Amino acid sequence: MSDVFHPLVKGLLDGEATLAELPPELRAEGEEALQLLGLVDRAPVTLPAALESRVMAEVRRHAASPLRRAWRRLVEPQEIELRLRIRPWAAWGGALAAAAGLALLLARVREPPAVRAVQTASRDSVYVRFVLFAPGARRVSVAGTFNEWNADAAPLVHAGRGGVWTVTLALPVGQHQYAFIVDGERWVADPAAPAVDDGFGKRNSVIAVTAQGARTL
Amino acid sequence: MRPLLVALLLVAGSAPRLTAQGDVAARLDRRVPPPVARAVTEIAAGAAARGLPVEPLVQKAIEGGAKRVAADRVIAAVRALATQLEGAAAALRASGIEHPGAGVIEGGAEALSAGLDAEQIGELARTSKVPYDPAVTLRVAATLASLGVPPKQTVDLMEAMMQAGRTPNDLLSLPTQVQEGVARGKTPAQAARGLGRGAEHAPWAHGSELPPGQTKTKTNPHKP
Repeated sequence: MSDVFHPLVKGLLDGEATLAELPPELRAEGEEALQLLGLVDRAPVTLPAALESRVMAEVRRHAASPLRRAWRRLVEPQEIELRLRIRPWAAWGGALAAAAGLALLLARVREPPAVRAVQTASRDSVYVRFVLFAPGARRVSVAGTFNEWNADAAPLVHAGRGGVWTVTLALPVGQHQYAFIVDGERWVADPAAPAVDDGFGKRNSVIAVTAQGARTL
Repeated sequence: MRPLLVALLLVAGSAPRLTAQGDVAARLDRRVPPPVARAVTEIAAGAAARGLPVEPLVQKAIEGGAKRVAADRVIAAVRALATQLEGAAAALRASGIEHPGAGVIEGGAEALSAGLDAEQIGELARTSKVPYDPAVTLRVAATLASLGVPPKQTVDLMEAMMQAGRTPNDLLSLPTQVQEGVARGKTPAQAARGLGRGAEHAPWAHGSELPPGQTKTKTNPHKP
């Protein structure tokens, strides 16, 4: 028995030709094929009702609930096919818009911050650096309307050996009068800032603090 | 029934004032001698009743206490400041500002103290329209006058700056620039005059009396 029938013999099995129509040399193969076909039991298979119900019960048991199916749809990876139809002018327009957006973003990132002598501490206060040159002083502090003239609230630190004393304070926005206290007893106006009469025969320095920074008046 | 109602109304009406007095007394406690605290509390109550800001009076008293100024001198300074606040408020109202804010009144009081008169204060406050803050304008004017710039020249300079459209920060830089001019040997008036000329030209240069690129090559030797 040949493993593979001739195509014409397959046509015979499919009912497309009769045995008489086959070439003489294929007729023996055709008869053999028909004989094999005749051996096949063509009676319809009927399953017992019990088996069918058992199989269906098993299928229902394994079938996912609607909730589980929805969950699976959400979490399991799925293959999605997208078909985009983009007109050329729209594609170029989108590319140009994206390039412009990127350029703006880069320009903003590269823009240097405004140079300020002071940095904003919060919305309503600004960092201000006070400096006094007092070579012979043992201690220096600054007091003013911003700390209710408390001579101990804001001591300056000795910066190096040069007699330079400094402190940085967060001052609220507004105008403030202030003075330095040297060695706890001598009140002196800031020599680097304009000063006004304090009403007691001495002078107070004046500083204006705005949201943009601070400036001695 | 009616006397009781009247008494209740009187108590209710005076409650804020009593509270304010209590606040002032509490803030002055242990910062100034008791006689100063009593006197300043009374002065502050009178000022509050006239619609004047109380905070500068308290600050002045605390400042005097911190500087260990004699009690009578602190009281005198606080009383003088109250008078200046009242004078400033009156000047501002006379110039057409019906309800001047505390900051403007304080600025006006400083300007009065520095030598500007009521008319000049009103004029500066009227000229200071947005983006200029009249409180800041008056304080800058006060500082300029304190530095020795004549009051009329101070007012002229401030007005020239505002009319030239200089920024509020440019106004704030004026006292420092006058002081720098004085440090270079000029009188305050001379330093301010240079700034006044610079105000007419753009752009404004901080720290110099003339806009960049301009030099004083055509000075008139006969002009004061």
